[in-house]
Amino acid sequence: MTTFVVRRLLQTVMMLALLSYFCFTLMTLMPGDPVELMVQSNPKIRAEDVARLRALYGLDQPSYIRYFNWAKTIGSGDLGYSRTYRIPVSELMGPRLMNTFILSIASLILSLAVAIPLGVFTALRAGTKWDYIINFFAFAGISVPSFWLGIILIIVFSVQMGWFPAGGTITAGIEGTGFWTELLDRAKYLILPTLALAYMEVGTFLRFTRSAMLEAMRGDYIRTAKAKGLSRKATVWGHGFRNALLNLITIVTLSFSTVFSGALITETLFSYQGVGKLVYDSTIGNDFNVAMVSFMISVAMVLIFNLIADILYGFVDPRISYT
Amino acid sequence: MARGESSANPVTQEQILQAEQFQPMWKIIFTQFVEHKAAVLGLVVILFYIVIATGAGAIQWATGLNPEQQNPLARYKKPFSTTVAASDQREDVLTLFQNQHSEAALNLVRELKQQTLVSAEGTEAGLAEWASKDPADWADLKAKLSPVAQATVTELTQSLQTFHIFGTDELGRDVFIRLIYGTRVSMGVGVMVALASAILGLLIGAIAGYKGGLIDTALMRITDALLSLPTIPIMILFAAVDLDKVPGARALISNQNENVLKLVFILIIFSWMPVARLVRGSVLSLREREFILAAQTMGATDTTILLRHLFPNVIAPLLVSVTLGVGNAILSEAALSYLGLGIQPPVPSWGNMLFNATELINEAPFLAIIPGLNILAVVMSFNYLGDGLQDAIDPKAVRR
Repeated sequence: MTTFVVRRLLQTVMMLALLSYFCFTLMTLMPGDPVELMVQSNPKIRAEDVARLRALYGLDQPSYIRYFNWAKTIGSGDLGYSRTYRIPVSELMGPRLMNTFILSIASLILSLAVAIPLGVFTALRAGTKWDYIINFFAFAGISVPSFWLGIILIIVFSVQMGWFPAGGTITAGIEGTGFWTELLDRAKYLILPTLALAYMEVGTFLRFTRSAMLEAMRGDYIRTAKAKGLSRKATVWGHGFRNALLNLITIVTLSFSTVFSGALITETLFSYQGVGKLVYDSTIGNDFNVAMVSFMISVAMVLIFNLIADILYGFVDPRISYT
Repeated sequence: MARGESSANPVTQEQILQAEQFQPMWKIIFTQFVEHKAAVLGLVVILFYIVIATGAGAIQWATGLNPEQQNPLARYKKPFSTTVAASDQREDVLTLFQNQHSEAALNLVRELKQQTLVSAEGTEAGLAEWASKDPADWADLKAKLSPVAQATVTELTQSLQTFHIFGTDELGRDVFIRLIYGTRVSMGVGVMVALASAILGLLIGAIAGYKGGLIDTALMRITDALLSLPTIPIMILFAAVDLDKVPGARALISNQNENVLKLVFILIIFSWMPVARLVRGSVLSLREREFILAAQTMGATDTTILLRHLFPNVIAPLLVSVTLGVGNAILSEAALSYLGLGIQPPVPSWGNMLFNATELINEAPFLAIIPGLNILAVVMSFNYLGDGLQDAIDPKAVRR
């Protein structure tokens, strides 16, 4: 068990290191480095000044040397300074991470709460009218572009009905008016993005729950359970679902990365102040310090969740041994 | 349950004969595929869009619409609305009209001058003056003319006006014809990405599965690593790269279709992994079979065994994977183009038509709704088709 965790941890760290180098190289290939931006705002600048500035900031060096310089600064705890927001990156990240975490977890819980009962229901009634109808909506869920669904939700619930705000994270000036009013306000902004993100996941989870349940309900242990005279509820949930759960966990684990991908698009659409929007805005706005850090942290988060889920496997299925 | 019903009825002689008849593999698959109604419907929808995509030029010719024709006076028009050509385009329309119906135009202007509706000299100037009047008054003015002139006016009005079945976008371009061309771009990208990533995945999976050992471990580590990454953020990093700064990229990609090819390339990098895993799995089990051993004993090279003996055996699951891959590629293209990092205007794609749609969501919601509905319809069709193919080729699949 310990060796397994240590090995997986080492793998994750190694992958993050490789990825950070890779992304750093990609960022050096993007248009507009800091000196180029300075040149744009100062037309009188001379060529030798540009060269001097490049040397000063180390931009004349090859990308791998720049990477090691960057990694050294990061290692010493200095995440750099954001050019767009004019604050240190470390101050920027905390609330953003929290917002994305809330959005992802909320949509994950909502989608599981909808998908699992419906998936079990359709599996038990395979081939019926209800199975087809629910399956149709599941297919729509995996086929719909999440940003488009978000746009439709805005049109219906925000523009037409006026129930929820079309975008944002919190009403300006409401901070400090009390815990409950703030919480309620945040919830109002959270509903539409959560719905948009969750529907995509519902499709995937529902289809997997259905097929895993179909598979599980054909097992010999189900016949045994029925023959023992167990109630239908105990057979379905205690024996059938318990065995389908393992497949489901695999899919939920794999979906962490899709949830985060989806969160980026949803956050951008709803101007929800999360890490996903930060990654997008900073990449587009050439704010490299922020882009690197926010990207690495979000990828690290996804990988760590994967790791945790891998370890949790053992608790669900005692047949798995970590050797 | 179908099985229960058939056992209740006595089996007829005819059914026995039918069951004993020899059926080729494709026929069995076809019969099973047709049973999946939704998949068949999906196939029909896909064929419909393929016809539209290939016939985009013909549709442009037949309707006379231009996907890049802008009209600043007719922005954000509602669906089923009619617009009048912008002043800078009127001249061309009038010249064309005059060339085609010189006699009628001459008579019309003569009559208009008699009625003192226009004052300018010459046919061209006369027509231009008529066209510059308020389109709302055309009908009233027309009533004063003789029947022959009225017919000419109707024709002239028709050539000056454009009917927009889906309205116009933020630059006054016709949404319908842009959707048609967008179909070509989006489906083209989807199919290209799915095919290319299937080939890449096939190669990587087959090599990993057949060679085994260190190569297998290395390739599968890369596959798993790529699978666990959130793709959209990484694609954004890739898409933001300036090709001018990449040495050698300019030699491969011309300026003209730079962003389409870049997008296809990025999507391929992140979509071959499922195929590779699938192929590796089947190759691992096939590798131990007798026919491979036989080929090896006969001295076949690794390439021959891979190409002649292993690939034909994985084509069926690969087909499913490609079908599902097209849908996913269309979704990714739409997402990146929506974020402004995929296909760049003026080339229309379903994704970048949505890029500006959120800005006037209040006045022009149809701009956001229509392209998305197309994406939904096509991706859903591909997913149903993939599902149907999966059921048809998998002998163990649960029959509905």
